[in-house]
Amino acid sequence: MTSNMAAAEPSLRPDAAAGQPVVETRNLTKIYRDFWGRQKVRALKALDLKVNRGEIFGLLGPNGSGKTTTIKLLLGLLFPTDGEAFVLGRKASDVGKNERIGYLPEETYLYRFLNAEETLDFYGRLFDMPAKLRRQRAAELIELVGLGWAKRRQLKEYSKGMTRRIGVAQALINDPELVVLDEPTTGLDPQGCRDMKDLIQNLRAAGKTIIMCSHLLPDVQDVCDRIAILHQGELKELGRVDSLLKVHNVTEIRATGLSEAAQAELRTVIARLGGEVKSIGHPTTTLEDLFLKIVRESEQRPGRRASADS
Amino acid sequence: MVLETEPVPFSDFFAASLPYWLQGMAVLALICLAVGFLRLAVRYGPSRAFWRLAESGVGYVTDLLRMSPRRVLALARLTVQESLRRKVMVGFGLFLLILMFALWFLDAESPDPAPLYTSFVMNCTSRLVRVMALLLSVFSIPGDIKSRIIFTIVTKPVRASELVAGRMLGFVGIGTLMLVLMGGISYLFVIRSLDHTHEFEPDATSLAAESAGLGSKVIGTTSLARNHRHHVVLGVDGVLATDVSQGHWHPVTVEEHNGHKRYVVGPPQGQFHARVPLYGKLRFKDRYGGDAKRGTNVGNEWTYRSHVEGGTLAAAIWHFDGLRREAFPQGLPMDMTIRVFRTEKGDIERGILGSFVLRNPQTGLTTQPQDFVAKEYVTDRHLIPNRLLDSTGKSIELFGDLITDGQLEVQLQCLQRGQFFGMAQPDVYLLEHDGSVGLNFVKGYVSIWLQMVLITALGVMWSTFLNGPVAMLATGASLVAGFFHHFFESIATGKTPGGATFESLVRMVQHKNTVIKLEPGWGTSIVNLLDGGVRHLMKLITQMVPDMRALGDIDYVVAGFNVPDGQLLVQAVTVAAYVLPIFLLGYLFFRLREVAQ
Repeated sequence: MTSNMAAAEPSLRPDAAAGQPVVETRNLTKIYRDFWGRQKVRALKALDLKVNRGEIFGLLGPNGSGKTTTIKLLLGLLFPTDGEAFVLGRKASDVGKNERIGYLPEETYLYRFLNAEETLDFYGRLFDMPAKLRRQRAAELIELVGLGWAKRRQLKEYSKGMTRRIGVAQALINDPELVVLDEPTTGLDPQGCRDMKDLIQNLRAAGKTIIMCSHLLPDVQDVCDRIAILHQGELKELGRVDSLLKVHNVTEIRATGLSEAAQAELRTVIARLGGEVKSIGHPTTTLEDLFLKIVRESEQRPGRRASADS
Repeated sequence: MVLETEPVPFSDFFAASLPYWLQGMAVLALICLAVGFLRLAVRYGPSRAFWRLAESGVGYVTDLLRMSPRRVLALARLTVQESLRRKVMVGFGLFLLILMFALWFLDAESPDPAPLYTSFVMNCTSRLVRVMALLLSVFSIPGDIKSRIIFTIVTKPVRASELVAGRMLGFVGIGTLMLVLMGGISYLFVIRSLDHTHEFEPDATSLAAESAGLGSKVIGTTSLARNHRHHVVLGVDGVLATDVSQGHWHPVTVEEHNGHKRYVVGPPQGQFHARVPLYGKLRFKDRYGGDAKRGTNVGNEWTYRSHVEGGTLAAAIWHFDGLRREAFPQGLPMDMTIRVFRTEKGDIERGILGSFVLRNPQTGLTTQPQDFVAKEYVTDRHLIPNRLLDSTGKSIELFGDLITDGQLEVQLQCLQRGQFFGMAQPDVYLLEHDGSVGLNFVKGYVSIWLQMVLITALGVMWSTFLNGPVAMLATGASLVAGFFHHFFESIATGKTPGGATFESLVRMVQHKNTVIKLEPGWGTSIVNLLDGGVRHLMKLITQMVPDMRALGDIDYVVAGFNVPDGQLLVQAVTVAAYVLPIFLLGYLFFRLREVAQ
């Protein structure tokens, strides 16, 4: 994937209305039932969530935590058992909202008998795009994802990484306002992962809102502004990444020009000895540590612990 | 050709069917609303359910009204591409393979090979196209759901209605392409396979007779070609032609080269027809000569046909209207297909004697009776000449004396006491003219296309909520019910002896034939009760499922009859009337489905 995303996107808009909710869920609940209507799984329990315009929002959780269910409910692929979901100001069940959404599923589900150009042309037609615009967008996006050399090959001949790239291209064919990415770096090599993260950052810079869910916590830590951690269908943590990763009960002092003895005296001695305090604050942990801690606590004490206002 | 049901004029059909169709649509809508309301009421309570249902209803209608042709065409185009790349043309290859070896099995010595060849190619095409439409239509949507490709479709602004319509349109497109190819090749196959000529060299005696101008006579025999020969006949008008053999004849021309005569036998003529029959109105006279609405009923199996008793005054009278001299310059060709019902066996090989007279309905002028012998399942052709004898033996003109204001009556009687003639209105007709054979062939293929459209619509509809194999079974079951519509109907209405499912089961176990009554008792009561339920269900099915046989016009083309335009219109409107609710149901099922579950 080339990293000249902004240059290849002629119609990208600046971040105009940051802070407005693009996605809002109220008491969103999903229960899977069997043929006889008996409850099988309570996949999502009363989720209240807001995603603001222009941010990169990460959905985290172990397998079966409800994050893919949340995305499917937002996209209208599933119907809620209770509660409501609004996307771009419309109900999630409203097909019209899809005009402004781009979606990259967990696996790239595309027609393997089509080539890259045909694939993008087909999806362009689904957006009712005129032929000239379709051709222009397809050419730009193929260039963007670096598949110009393989654009006439059927997708069945593509590697997993290449298929992922064309999947990204189809998600962007309509220049969406909201991009939903399910495990966006799955199947990509390290360079592909880097390019994908750059692309996500560039999309945000262009004023788009991104919701992504991923198991790769360093990726989420790298790109997300806010995250929600789900476990067993419940929202466990919600907030800004930098805030969540701060370790509040530990103070970190970074100083230079101190002798060995002075270092032992720490904070109270520093000022008296004339040393320069470079920074005083709380150290951060890794997202992986935070995630595992929350899951562990959740298993010990089930129940909701975060709110949409976090 | 024997018609088992009378062709219904389009205006009559439309006037009778429209209220019935509207009623059906209203019932369907009410059922959908009732089911939807109950479903919502269980979840939200009756009051909220009502408003939610109203909201959903508005949403559904809006969805249908906002369908985008570009999206529908995009999905249709994708469907065609998908079918082509999934080797759908293998079906076409199979058809070509069948044609390649067909000549090994088609009877080369058939007395009339044209209907045989036409029947073969049309039935072959029809069956292949039906199977193809079934297999293609039922697996696409379930396949998309299984492979989750549907996730990238329905997360675009694609409405459920567009997806269902696009799939239907795409499969109809690929089916049409296949049908056009198969139809074109079939036509060429039949024409080219039956095309032939003969060599002819008359012997000296014949030549002498020809030069002596002795009138119409056989002057020789052609060479053998395609397992037959023709006699070459010199007509009274001096025109050379062969006689009719294997359903055709050849013109013979003479070319002179250096004073030497060369006889050239032309291509076969009269192999294919698209006869346009002119039907009359049928009425009856009873055994005492009084007017009657119908003839005698000789039993359940003959209810379509009424019978006239032999050796009495009973008669069947056809009233023809709109006869014009210009349309029948050579006289009136009349076809009669008279059924025979024997109360005494007699010599089964011999037909039953009957006679007909022609009558001017305005002046009462009647011709002398003309006798004929009726045999079961045989069509007799009579040419009524332009000059005839009236009942007093006086010579009269067909047009002028017998036919005035274009009207004529044909009165038919059975002459043998104790035997009956059975007939329905289409059993006697006048042959007006021959239509275009090529166009008739196309009409036959249009009727196959209509069946294919219906099968495709059914397949797509079932596949919106069932998985592939189950959808195939459901579509197959719908087709079985459609092709055996009359049988279903006769069981549902109790016309078939032997009862419905449970009574038949009891009869099989007890080894009882269908006419013996079951012994009264509680067991029989239970069986009758259960059969009542089955009959209700079957009645419902027969009212919902289209009569697939009524959509086929292959028999017309094979028998050399023009497919009436009105009939084709009736069939097209019938298919449209079914496809619309099938599409709406498919849309509803798909919209209610959680594709990600």
